[in-house]
Amino acid sequence: MQKATMTLTREPELSSPPRPDRTGRKSALTYKHRLSRLDVKLSPYLYISPFFVLFGVVGLFPLVYTFVVSLNKWNLLSGPGEWIGFDNYVAELNDPLFWNSLFNTMSIFLLSSIPQLIAATFIAAVLDQNLRAKTFWRMSVLIPYVVTPVAVALIFSNMFSEQNGMINHLLSFVGVDPVMWKTDVFPSHIAIASMVNWRWTGYNALILLAAMQSVPRDIHESAALDGAGFFRRFFSITLPSIRPTMIFVIITATIGGLQIFTEPRLYDATTPTPGGAHRQFQTTVLYLWEMAFQRQNFGKASAVAFILFIIIVAFGVLNFLISQRIATTDSRTDVKTAKRVLRRKAAADREAALASSAAGEPLDSPPSSTLPTGAKEPRS
Amino acid sequence: MKFSRRTKVGAAVACAASFALIATGCSSAGTGTTASASPVELTVTTFGTMGMDALYAQYEASHPGITIKANNIDTGGNAQTDAFTKIAAGSGLSDVTAVEEGWLGAIQNVSSQFTDLKAYGADAVKDRWVSWKVDQATDKDGRIIGYGTDIGPEGICYNSKAFAAAGLPTDRAAVATLLGGSGSTWDNYFSVGEKYQKATGKAWFDQSGFIWNSMVNQLPEGYYTKDGKLNVENNAALKSAWTKLASANAAGLSAKQSQWDWNKGTSFTDGTFATFMCPGWMLGVVQGQVKTAGGDAVGATAGWDFADVFPGGATNWGGTFLTVPTQSKHPKEAAELATWLTDAKQEVAEFQASGAFPSVKAAQTDPALAASTGISAFFNDAPIAAILSKRAEGVKAQYKGPDDSTIQEKVFGPSAISLDQGVSGDKAWADAMTLFNQLIVNK
Repeated sequence: MQKATMTLTREPELSSPPRPDRTGRKSALTYKHRLSRLDVKLSPYLYISPFFVLFGVVGLFPLVYTFVVSLNKWNLLSGPGEWIGFDNYVAELNDPLFWNSLFNTMSIFLLSSIPQLIAATFIAAVLDQNLRAKTFWRMSVLIPYVVTPVAVALIFSNMFSEQNGMINHLLSFVGVDPVMWKTDVFPSHIAIASMVNWRWTGYNALILLAAMQSVPRDIHESAALDGAGFFRRFFSITLPSIRPTMIFVIITATIGGLQIFTEPRLYDATTPTPGGAHRQFQTTVLYLWEMAFQRQNFGKASAVAFILFIIIVAFGVLNFLISQRIATTDSRTDVKTAKRVLRRKAAADREAALASSAAGEPLDSPPSSTLPTGAKEPRS
Repeated sequence: MKFSRRTKVGAAVACAASFALIATGCSSAGTGTTASASPVELTVTTFGTMGMDALYAQYEASHPGITIKANNIDTGGNAQTDAFTKIAAGSGLSDVTAVEEGWLGAIQNVSSQFTDLKAYGADAVKDRWVSWKVDQATDKDGRIIGYGTDIGPEGICYNSKAFAAAGLPTDRAAVATLLGGSGSTWDNYFSVGEKYQKATGKAWFDQSGFIWNSMVNQLPEGYYTKDGKLNVENNAALKSAWTKLASANAAGLSAKQSQWDWNKGTSFTDGTFATFMCPGWMLGVVQGQVKTAGGDAVGATAGWDFADVFPGGATNWGGTFLTVPTQSKHPKEAAELATWLTDAKQEVAEFQASGAFPSVKAAQTDPALAASTGISAFFNDAPIAAILSKRAEGVKAQYKGPDDSTIQEKVFGPSAISLDQGVSGDKAWADAMTLFNQLIVNK
């Protein structure tokens, strides 16, 4: 490489007249110096540029382009029409079908995220115990994640078939009437949420497990020595300790949940409208896909994409604020606990002092200094 | 490792130089391959059952240097989404792309994206098709952008076992007479259905959507007037057809099936419904569904037969064209392939494989068409070709506007399912009008 470099760069110079830095100019900096100074200044940017170039091409450019498209009348096939400003946004915000899709998204999101996180935390807590064949169990919970969502959707779609699906068949054993898993709004949301849960619970459980593993064992042990049971330790030590990871998991689950597409698209692929004949489980991304590629209105679809983007950002900010708040209330409770301990100690000291003075003994050091050092330390 | 400043700068320059070399190398290689004529790989995208699979190898054998990469999409709706996405992207369309009649209207709006086949000899062959098929494929500037493969004259598929169970005749001529023969009407079809329903307690047809499509395609003017104006609201002919369909549903004639699913084909084998709307290309679908359900797809044990009758008279549902998008790198070879695939002999072969009825006149009268094939064996050795030829008599092309398929699928599709689910005709119609205004008028 280096040899090739030399031949490539130096050879022409050998035959060329003397280099600029040898012409005897009084310039303080020679050509080489200037080059190397440029090198020092620019190289770092060059080295980190791949990320920003990539981000610009596949992240920023589509974002800006989508916004521009959303301000136009834009047919999928015939291309851009007239510039109409924010008319597409106004039209979409007044479109009941858009709100329907948003409702479906939220409903499926809540039905999937909440049970999923609870189950994931529980599974992680179980895996955190001293089990035989740990790796086997940990790998097992991840297996659903390996299966492609398309396969999951097809299998679940069969299982939830209204006419002779497995679920309705099983329900018939316990005397439950067949549930219209694809026709009715709420059952279809449950079915789709169950696909999401099946796929993501294990993944989230592993992330939470990693966080639980980093909780110092000695805290658990000392708590156990103090007589705290499993649940007491779980709620008072494990959960507070994994809070940052929990917030991360919640945020990623939110973003994923608001962008759900494959599962509702393939859940009942035979209907003329994607997301159920009456759009009963059409999510917002599915709605925007239909708008763009079936209804051929690229402008409105871009507007929907941008509204969804804003909603997700809003959710992110909300999550951030809540997590901030949790963090501050957390430290506040620490201070409170510390103060409470301090007050109790002071009271005890005072009583002791009273008792001792009553007994004619001299007062020892001021009560405040007897605060136990442990209370001052931040919780790990 | 220790690099001096100088070598680092040098290395950067060298890298840039080698990148430039690679870039120029690439571009020169690119021009090299396009210059050489052979070998050519042609991509073909079809959908549903078009019966072309066996023909590709034949073409490759007779045209050395050409290889065909074929892709078949399950339904026309999915093929539409696929094609539209690729037109918008400006790349990805196959050299030969099948386009369905229902979305040809939208394609006509961007007909400049499709090769004018007149440049590749369309004028010499255009008389081979029935004239209305050529008219459909001609854009407003007189360019021919597609070659017709099949048309969709409709007959009635019926399950002879189910008919026998209800005490109805099973012979296909007797069934045709039962349904009204040449004077068959929808009222007649539905009233026989009520008899059947009373006798067996089972449904008469699979679901309302296909009945509705057939009814609309039968009208002289469908969702658009002849001169291209929307013709849905206050269209008395549409409304009266809807009312008929609604009362048939009220009488319990619909099996409430999901179209294109039919309980994974099982409903075709267990007598869930007795009759089915059958344009030529649908015959292959019926056979495929029975096969999917694990039934006997070769012999006649499935009980399906095909009658020379259709309620309300002759009608055409669907039909396909082969186009050559301008995205194609080999328009000449692609046009040649499309010409060959739509030649009489090949259309006969396509018919024999799938039941898709030819749009080429010489193929329609070809005696080979009447030969017993796998598809006619499945339908109890019905003379499918002869029946479809008769069903094609008097078919007129209906004008299909740019949003025709959207209206069919997204405006009336959900309401037809509502009818199946027991919603009243008036309510379902009102819902359809709401959707019509949301999706089409105020789009």
